[in-house]
Amino acid sequence: MKEIPGGEFRSVDISEKDVVEAMKSISGYIDITPGDFKEVYQSAYALAIKRLLDSITADKIMTRTVIFVDQEMALVEASDLLAEKKISGCPVVGSEEKIVGVVSEKDFLKEMGFGTTPSFMQLATHCLNSKSCMIRRLHNKTVGDIMTKPPITADSTMTIGAISTLFAKHQINRLPIVDNNGRPIGMVTRTDLAHSYHTLGEREKS
Amino acid sequence: MNYFQKMRGGGESPPKVGVFEVLWSWIGSFLGISAVAFANYKILDHTGLIFIIGSFGASAVLIYGAIRSPLAQPRNLLGGHILSAVIGVTAFQWLGWQPWLAAAVAVSTSIAVMHLTKTLHPPGGATALIAVIGGDSVHNLGYLYVLMPAALGAIVMLIVALLVNNIPKNRRYPEFWF
Repeated sequence: MKEIPGGEFRSVDISEKDVVEAMKSISGYIDITPGDFKEVYQSAYALAIKRLLDSITADKIMTRTVIFVDQEMALVEASDLLAEKKISGCPVVGSEEKIVGVVSEKDFLKEMGFGTTPSFMQLATHCLNSKSCMIRRLHNKTVGDIMTKPPITADSTMTIGAISTLFAKHQINRLPIVDNNGRPIGMVTRTDLAHSYHTLGEREKS
Repeated sequence: MNYFQKMRGGGESPPKVGVFEVLWSWIGSFLGISAVAFANYKILDHTGLIFIIGSFGASAVLIYGAIRSPLAQPRNLLGGHILSAVIGVTAFQWLGWQPWLAAAVAVSTSIAVMHLTKTLHPPGGATALIAVIGGDSVHNLGYLYVLMPAALGAIVMLIVALLVNNIPKNRRYPEFWF
């Protein structure tokens, strides 16, 4: 069994040698030591990254067509809806369409008794090994019974830097974006986030 | 890093420039110093006036040899020489009876003022020092020293720098004016 080490990711950093090489390619005597230049570069780079991360906010990357379910909805209807829309989770709302939780595949699997970190493979193994499928546990339950609550939400002005932090901290895959009244107005998924980072690297032609 | 570890340096030195850069540095400085030296020896001969001071040699290094340097820009060249000349003459007139003190005050105050006004130009320190240690020919000028040689000499060298440094395709001067 191979484990991929989850070590600290260290980004490639500029070296004084790089600076010296770059200086050689510029004509004229450049009145700065490679060490100083490296320091200026690193500071400026950190500022640029921060500016980029702050420049993209949730409302720019979220999916606006939010599908949500009512907490009173039967699980069978909810799974039917999620399957039809080809999504793996969505916000759950209560009275006045205010968000009260989030429901996803994980919650279904948890409810079936696959522990706190359930996976489809556990379900497959179990169903292949026994006649009875644990899916029966889900009968007669509503979305409100199994959803993850309280929901982790954000408003539309949250930056992608802050959203990334939230994803990592809470081990979530989707983040409902809510308005001032707590109604879901959008959804940011890990995929949306990945796409947003992809656009960060694109430079405007100068 | 403690006090003594800092003395070891440890960084890399910047790369050497190409022959092209050396050649244009030579041409620029030859013409720049020619101009002020010619004015000094041929035009102002026997008038008691001065058009060249030692610090111009240092300015030539910067404005013809390191033209990208912030220290070599017009603001620094003119501001550095003029402010330092004022401070140098003042230091001599107030503290001239203690030349060692006048010299130290002239240079240190020039550096501080150049820093505060964003006009740091190393030869300015020499311009201030020359105002104190330059002997009678300099002392007799009084505050004229600020205008000539300091200001006018720097202006002539600047004009030469503008004319010469912009001839080659990949050289440009200045980076900024103010």
